[in-house]
Amino acid sequence: MNEKLNKEILSKASISKKVDHGTEPLVLVEMIQRLKVRDVMTTTLATVERAAPLSDVQALMKAKQISGVPVEEGGRFLGLVTINDIIRALEGGYIDETCQKHMSTKLVVLEDDMPLSFALRYFEKYHFGRFPVINREQKLVGIICQRDINRALLLELTNELNRLESESSHYKVPEGPFNLYVLREFPVSKFDFENAGKAANKVKQLLKEKKFPAKIIRRIAVAAYELEINLCVHSDGGSLSWQLSNGRAEIIAHDSGPGIADVEWALKDGNSTASEWIRSFGFGAGMGLVNVKRVSDEFEIESTVGLGTRVKAVIYINPDAKR
Amino acid sequence: MKLKDLVDQAGFEVVTLPDAEAEVQNAYSSDLLSDVMGHCPENSILITVQNHKNTVAVSTLVEAKAILIVHNRTIPDDMLALAQQEGVALLRTACDQFTISCKIGVLLDIDT
Amino acid sequence: MTILEVAKKLKAEVLVEGDAVADAIGYVVASDLMSDVLLVDEDEILLLTSLASDQVLRTGHIVGAVGVIVINGKSLPSSMVKVARDLGMTLVKCDKSQYQACIAVSEALKSA
Repeated sequence: MNEKLNKEILSKASISKKVDHGTEPLVLVEMIQRLKVRDVMTTTLATVERAAPLSDVQALMKAKQISGVPVEEGGRFLGLVTINDIIRALEGGYIDETCQKHMSTKLVVLEDDMPLSFALRYFEKYHFGRFPVINREQKLVGIICQRDINRALLLELTNELNRLESESSHYKVPEGPFNLYVLREFPVSKFDFENAGKAANKVKQLLKEKKFPAKIIRRIAVAAYELEINLCVHSDGGSLSWQLSNGRAEIIAHDSGPGIADVEWALKDGNSTASEWIRSFGFGAGMGLVNVKRVSDEFEIESTVGLGTRVKAVIYINPDAKR
Repeated sequence: MKLKDLVDQAGFEVVTLPDAEAEVQNAYSSDLLSDVMGHCPENSILITVQNHKNTVAVSTLVEAKAILIVHNRTIPDDMLALAQQEGVALLRTACDQFTISCKIGVLLDIDT
Repeated sequence: MTILEVAKKLKAEVLVEGDAVADAIGYVVASDLMSDVLLVDEDEILLLTSLASDQVLRTGHIVGAVGVIVINGKSLPSSMVKVARDLGMTLVKCDKSQYQACIAVSEALKSA
């Protein structure tokens, strides 16, 4: 991909919050209309109850690196404690008092089926760092901050660029294929065997079109496929993202649970927790992670029971890519 | 063909061989136990990668005489114990399913 | 020898002719465990399997297989033909058992 063009579009992404349809590139306008708040928001929420002391919120903010924590009870959204509330509490010496007493209750919220353009306008209008997101039943379903939007737009834009690029038959890669920059993310659902593997197949097709060396393509494709199947078989759902830059292919599988109790055990040949039913699909022989490791130049796995697993596999496309 | 002759000529590793004189008439290659259950001919040697005790249970049902585990997969203790109890031979080879099926085919000389 | 020639010898039905239909077969894998297929480090693979699912084609595509022969007379879900076309994979259906198909393929390859 043309890096210059890429940077140009990315710089436009950063000013996209000025929703001025007159000068906005058409592709962006279309994108922020098409994307819904629910596509962008964070859904793994850290919440507190009314009776919790503000110091709990402070600890939560520090641990999760967030700047706003919703107060929720029995699915009802009651208020929000922001980092400003915490600063004031520290200054005023009432950090041990309850959230109920100090949370913001006059809140501007977004609804999950609003277009992203709406959210951008809200950020512009209210200068808040984040907005709680509710659904039609008025239930809290997520929280959205500028960072979520930047991330989503960046992903969408690169996807869009790749799509445009693959449509153009006269396209030439100016700085050699190894400096191609691609970033894509695919959601993977639990037990969705019908769609599992599609992402890896797409990855392979794209690399084939780019005429990468066959051996390298195969290693990248095998790692992507194994990780995708793993997400489908073992996780509660997650995403497979991959990026190609500076002569390295990075594949990251990320899920939100259930986590692996014994990573060392899972990395041993033939160890598997898969059921007979999964084996009937031809998977679950306990070779997945082993095989990812085999084809990768760098391999990392982090897992916490109850929180999820993140696996990163790196394959060097050119030999100098080692960091 | 006698099982012991097949073992000798094909060079399988013997894990357990309760009845070396057993007559093997056919072979069946599959990693899907449901297929084995439905289609494996009796008096067969079952060629599979499935190294767990369910394979022994299924083999007993279809009256297979031996289980040949390919790719030198490790045989778990409970699988071995069940095979000994049920009188099913357990064999191992480093070969893959295709290679070893072809080899057994030549030895058994079964008309396809 | 190509997958089409093998299909002819096996009296098998060719459902989709993919991108590598004219490529010479370099290696044969007979397996029903896709996890195992993904471990094979060979090129121009012909995949024999009794697993009739889209995942077989996806796996074949990932390892750069010349095509997939679904054996055991399995009835294929209609999605398989579509996925094979999308991925440019040759898809063949054969009534022989895995064991018989292995022997027939090896005889076909030897005769070439």
